[in-house]
Amino acid sequence: MNHVRKRLIFALLYDSGKFMLSRNFRLQQVGDLPWLEKNYNFGETALAIDELVVLNVERSRASLDQFLEHVKKLNDDCFVPIAAGGGIRSVEDARRLLRSGADKVVINTILHDDRGLVAELAAEFGKQCLVASIDTKRVDGTFRVFTENGTRPIDGDLDSHLAEVTALPIGEIYLNSMDRDGTGQGFDEEMLRHVPSDIPVPLILVGGAGKPEHFTLGLADDRVDAVSTAHLFNFVGNSLQLSREHLLREGMNLVKWDGNQLKSLAGSV
Amino acid sequence: MGKAVVVIDYGMGNLFSVSSALRYLGCEPLISDDPEVVKKAAHVILPGVGSFRLAMERLHAKGLDDAVHDTVQSGHHLLGICLGMQLLGVSSTEDGNTAGLGIIDNTVQLFDESAGIKIPHVGFNEINPTATTGLFEGLPARPHFYFVHSYRMSVGGLHCAHATCTYGEEFLAAFDMDNVCGAQFHPEKSQANGLQLLKNFLSR
Repeated sequence: MNHVRKRLIFALLYDSGKFMLSRNFRLQQVGDLPWLEKNYNFGETALAIDELVVLNVERSRASLDQFLEHVKKLNDDCFVPIAAGGGIRSVEDARRLLRSGADKVVINTILHDDRGLVAELAAEFGKQCLVASIDTKRVDGTFRVFTENGTRPIDGDLDSHLAEVTALPIGEIYLNSMDRDGTGQGFDEEMLRHVPSDIPVPLILVGGAGKPEHFTLGLADDRVDAVSTAHLFNFVGNSLQLSREHLLREGMNLVKWDGNQLKSLAGSV
Repeated sequence: MGKAVVVIDYGMGNLFSVSSALRYLGCEPLISDDPEVVKKAAHVILPGVGSFRLAMERLHAKGLDDAVHDTVQSGHHLLGICLGMQLLGVSSTEDGNTAGLGIIDNTVQLFDESAGIKIPHVGFNEINPTATTGLFEGLPARPHFYFVHSYRMSVGGLHCAHATCTYGEEFLAAFDMDNVCGAQFHPEKSQANGLQLLKNFLSR
């Protein structure tokens, strides 16, 4: 019998010291980390999630140091796994992320462009450390896959890319609907139909969650191991806590966390 | 000044998040790759993520394997986390057969692929501890912890308090033996349950 619980994930999109709101992959600046804490009580959000994803959407190499500092800071009050990525192009990039408090590395473009590097990363850090991010949207009725922050279409369709990526040494798949991204219209059921029932690695469903009920679609599906939202305005402060309580009442297979106990452990040794 | 604890740095694993959790609890973590520093510490944490063989090579290259044995023999407290727990075993079949530190008598193998499970085992799973004291004090009856691994340690042969977890098959989730303990899961990534377990380790 399988007792492993499903995960509710919050994703932060980062660009040059600021966190961003994305809608169909168009980005809008929201605020920096202190601003996020002050206005949206991010510390409370961290008590209600099972994992944090932090993606650097900026592409100048100079920004990596600053991004790593943000990943480190997020570790201070966040005692769940952190998957971080964006622009990973070398083993050294990944090592620096992992040494800054990331538990897993999110990769996207190299899944298509540099599979040798994917193999190197897996040999160095283990395949469980690699989260394969796939951005997909409909083009003329077909789900196509895009790399480079959703800007570059690659050959083939979602089905062929999924088959290729699951054959690589990766640990999880982060499947994002660009059509639903930031819309709050709910997860993309049609996209999910392209995921085979025997997908060999855990699947994270991304893009479109706007209210607690939306998470249910993902959590109730056998293929889905985790659901994620990056919707800062809909799901920050105590709203993820309320979503979680709603989902637990609905019988969803999530862990019930005790935020008060965590607070009481601060400085207790 | 909080309690001093040394986190062994051998180039494998998430030292930073372990340190964050220790700081939250009020400790002063010292990250070190110096065997002499490790030998002097009353509390030592051996973290680790990645390849078993590479980890053993790197520990050996820096003389840290001897330092870990020294910690155990001198009665200091040792906690192995994830790969760090597996390294305490006799051997692993990862990357061909590799000898471990041999501090406990257990071996490490890949999860049974024929069990119809996704590999790696990722996510929060419940553990079933044989004790409610020591390392397991103050935890809920079936506490959940964060796992992320493809290889798992066998349960057999342990006579100390321990906890099992089920993922397709039963495997060793944690053990608590005299001054040596281990956790296959990541306590630093398991909300209040994990911090409670780290507190239990540091309070001895």
